[in-house]
Amino acid sequence: MPRIPGLRRLVRIERDGAGIDRAVDDELQFHFDMTMRDLVANGMTPDDARREAQRRFGDVDATRERLTTIDRSLVGRERRAAWRSAFAQDFRYAVRGWRLKPGFAIAVILTLGLGIGANATMFGIVDRLLFRPPNYLVASDRVARVFLVRTSNGKESPSDYTGYKRYTDLRNWTSSFDVMTPFYVSSKPFGTGESTKELQVGISGADLWKMFDVHPVIGRFFTADEDIPPGGQRVAVLSYAFWQTQFGGRKDVVGAKIDLGPDKYTVIGVAPKRFNGLGTTPVVAFVPISAAAPQMSPTVHWYDTYNMNWFPVFARRKPGVLKQTADADLSVAYRRSYLAQAAINTGSTPIDIAKPRAYAGPLLRDRGPNESSSAKVATWLVGVAGIVLLIACANVANLLLARALKRRREIAVRIALGVSRSRLLMQLVTESVLLALLGGVAGLAIAQWGGAVMRRALISDMDVPSALGDSRILFFCMGLALLTGLLTGLAPALHAAREDVAAALKAGAREGTVQRSRVRGGLLIGQAALSVVLLVGAGLFVRSLSNVQHVRLGYDADRILYADFNYRGIKLDSAQEVALRQRMLARAQSLPGVEHATRNLTTPFWSDWEWELHVAGIDSVDKLGEFPLQAGTPDFFATMGTRIIRGRGIDLEDRAGAPRVMVVSDAMGKIIWPHDDPIGKCVRMGADTNPCVTVVGIAEDVHRGKLSEVGFHYYLSIDQFAPAEGGLFIRTTGPADIQQERIRRALQQIMPGVSYVTVTPLSTIIGGETKSWRLGAIMFTIFGALALTLAAIGLYSVIAYTVVQRTHEMGVRVALGAQARDVISLILREGLKVVIPGVALGAIIALFAGKWIAPLLFDVSPKDPPVLVTVVVTLIAVAVAASWIPALRASRVDPNEALRAD
Amino acid sequence: VAAPDLDLLQGTLDLLILKTLTWGPRHGYAVASWIRETTDQRLQIEEGALYTALHRMEKRAWLESEWGLSENNRKAKYYQLTAAGRKQLRAKTALWTEYAGAVFKVLETC
Repeated sequence: MPRIPGLRRLVRIERDGAGIDRAVDDELQFHFDMTMRDLVANGMTPDDARREAQRRFGDVDATRERLTTIDRSLVGRERRAAWRSAFAQDFRYAVRGWRLKPGFAIAVILTLGLGIGANATMFGIVDRLLFRPPNYLVASDRVARVFLVRTSNGKESPSDYTGYKRYTDLRNWTSSFDVMTPFYVSSKPFGTGESTKELQVGISGADLWKMFDVHPVIGRFFTADEDIPPGGQRVAVLSYAFWQTQFGGRKDVVGAKIDLGPDKYTVIGVAPKRFNGLGTTPVVAFVPISAAAPQMSPTVHWYDTYNMNWFPVFARRKPGVLKQTADADLSVAYRRSYLAQAAINTGSTPIDIAKPRAYAGPLLRDRGPNESSSAKVATWLVGVAGIVLLIACANVANLLLARALKRRREIAVRIALGVSRSRLLMQLVTESVLLALLGGVAGLAIAQWGGAVMRRALISDMDVPSALGDSRILFFCMGLALLTGLLTGLAPALHAAREDVAAALKAGAREGTVQRSRVRGGLLIGQAALSVVLLVGAGLFVRSLSNVQHVRLGYDADRILYADFNYRGIKLDSAQEVALRQRMLARAQSLPGVEHATRNLTTPFWSDWEWELHVAGIDSVDKLGEFPLQAGTPDFFATMGTRIIRGRGIDLEDRAGAPRVMVVSDAMGKIIWPHDDPIGKCVRMGADTNPCVTVVGIAEDVHRGKLSEVGFHYYLSIDQFAPAEGGLFIRTTGPADIQQERIRRALQQIMPGVSYVTVTPLSTIIGGETKSWRLGAIMFTIFGALALTLAAIGLYSVIAYTVVQRTHEMGVRVALGAQARDVISLILREGLKVVIPGVALGAIIALFAGKWIAPLLFDVSPKDPPVLVTVVVTLIAVAVAASWIPALRASRVDPNEALRAD
Repeated sequence: VAAPDLDLLQGTLDLLILKTLTWGPRHGYAVASWIRETTDQRLQIEEGALYTALHRMEKRAWLESEWGLSENNRKAKYYQLTAAGRKQLRAKTALWTEYAGAVFKVLETC
């Protein structure tokens, strides 16, 4: 029997596949060699010995295979177990560290939470605006919004708004699409009497349902048979949410009648949860377009005119049809339709000039080409949120670095004791990833609660899921947290693992620790630079907002209410329409708190009305630009606060039957009669054979459709032009919004039957226009302040740390006679040394990045000097403040204590 | 004649190996030789099965292995009992004794 020697470890057990095979072979080889040796020693011939060894062993190949299989699973399990225990150890180690110094962990988690939360919030919004297809949509890559492009003044302008006649033309004359439908959301009064409220209704063709993988929760959807012009069936498919809130989810709702607008609709079904059709706005019901459209105009055939454009068309390409093919198909159909239109509307731009073409564009409105400025600002804010996160990461990396330096000796000891560097690296990264994941959780909480506020400000009318209820945001958040953890953990970990063991062990706390890390300095410079960029952005948006708010609109928006009449259950003839409006006007004028009132035809930023104009000596007035019109009663200009520059406004004499008059805006007068006085000139409306409308006055320019520029505009007497149309403008003595409800009630009293009045302050309508600047100003300021705070904390912690490191040095300085002032200025210089290059770098970046943000600004240069100077001064002031406290501490170092320590 | 109960045989082999290793770490060849010599070659144990049992018990953590140098200075894989292995040995020994006792009781009653 062999003697068993003392075990000596030669090699580790092989861990990889080839190693396992080799180990099994070695073991078996050893076994056979030993058996043979013993047998030969007992007198066998080598051949006999080999045979005997094999007989004893049995099937060698099968055994070898069995052994490797067993070993493989053993090694796999060991490796997993080792990893688990290493992780558990790191986890415990990290948590123990946090419990010893909870301040550190909380600071890191909050910092990252703010950064991640800001990003998760912006992601949720931008995802909804730009990326996420409507719920339940199938083959979303083939579904498109149809854009019609016309050239005017040498410029192509795409529009996604079209009318029913055009839609049927496109539908009939194309073959590339299997589904095509209008879809738009319109607010309609729901209910009757006092409880009437305006709710959003989705209006579409029956093809809508074919675009989705949806089935009614109960009942059915409407069909093509129910959607035939001129008047389709009044049937409604309720949204799930509305069915739950309004009808308590009762099954017998099918067949019920609901009051929607002026009509009664029969409920035929309920759509599934979160189904919003092709829009992003939650709606209460879906109805066929042929049921809803007839109420738009009693006189014009909505389904048979090219002159009303009020909805976008959506189409789905047939499978296998290329986008280019579909675009060409659409363009051909549009040209044919354009010619058909030209045959009816004489005087429209010739096809060779208009160059009509069409294409299947992005389904989501904000993917352009006519995206809202809120979407543009939101896209910018994504970048801004990213910068905030970068600054947060830099801060955390700095904190971790500082701690790694503090733990220099501990780490050196661990390396000396044989902890492998990769193991150490993993431990440090584990800790930062854990912190980041906790930061991610904090970020989710911030996105959930704080984000709700922001979403309301940004896309208030959209159905956006909250952060916790949305897997995309959840994944984004956690992915970001993981990335952040790796990013912030790796630099300090590498730094620590590179540590020179011998030096660190030899050194005392004092010696060798005064080393300025280039990484940390770099991080601080980066933070300062990014803060400057964000604050410059904030400053530019604040200036834009203030400029926008001080634009002279040409009327006093704050003092004016707009009253609109909605009929229901009654049909009025023209005489009755006129009489009702006169009653309403008289009533409004008699109310206390009302200065003036006028009838109106159009509302700035809401509605326009254009008419063909003919002026002697000009072959096409159309070519000069767009000339929207307004019409009013004698108090019109007094009500609006629009100044008459010369001539007169609309008078009592300008009633129906009297010679027709017009007031033109200053800009319009100048472009049509550049060399003459417009007053007294003759304009013919509709056709050049019609009687003259004489210009009697010139009014100041007004902003009607754009805050950035004034347009052309003219005013008629409503009695001479459209006596049976329009609503009221009412000028109040104080701010209009305070009077709104009182005036609505007073007017409501004389509305016939169940008809009702809506009253809206003009400032609310215009407020929507200033939204993007307000949003930019608020968000850039919040993010900028956040960035500045983070950067200040970062600077403070680094300077404070340096001061602690240099306590000894300060002690020596003080002992050698340095004054407090000298020490303070020394430390302040230390802070400014990193901040000033950072500020300079940031200013340069801001100047270069300015050209991209310029289109979003209002009347302010992206290189606005006051903004730049303010930001630079602010940053340096903050840097001085952040260094001041540690500097003071340094100046109070007691030389005795400092030199005796360590 | 029915084939011998494999579970029984396997259990027995495990028991023999565990017992062999109570005197300290050994490589596979030593385990095989020791069993053969102790039983006066009366138990015909296929060595392939023996190695399979060694590896399987290592996977179950009854044994642990380590590479070392053999008496003739060659690299060999040594097996050693773990605490779990010792526990198994006690349990299996008790079971085997009880089993054998029962069998003898039957054989002695005639």
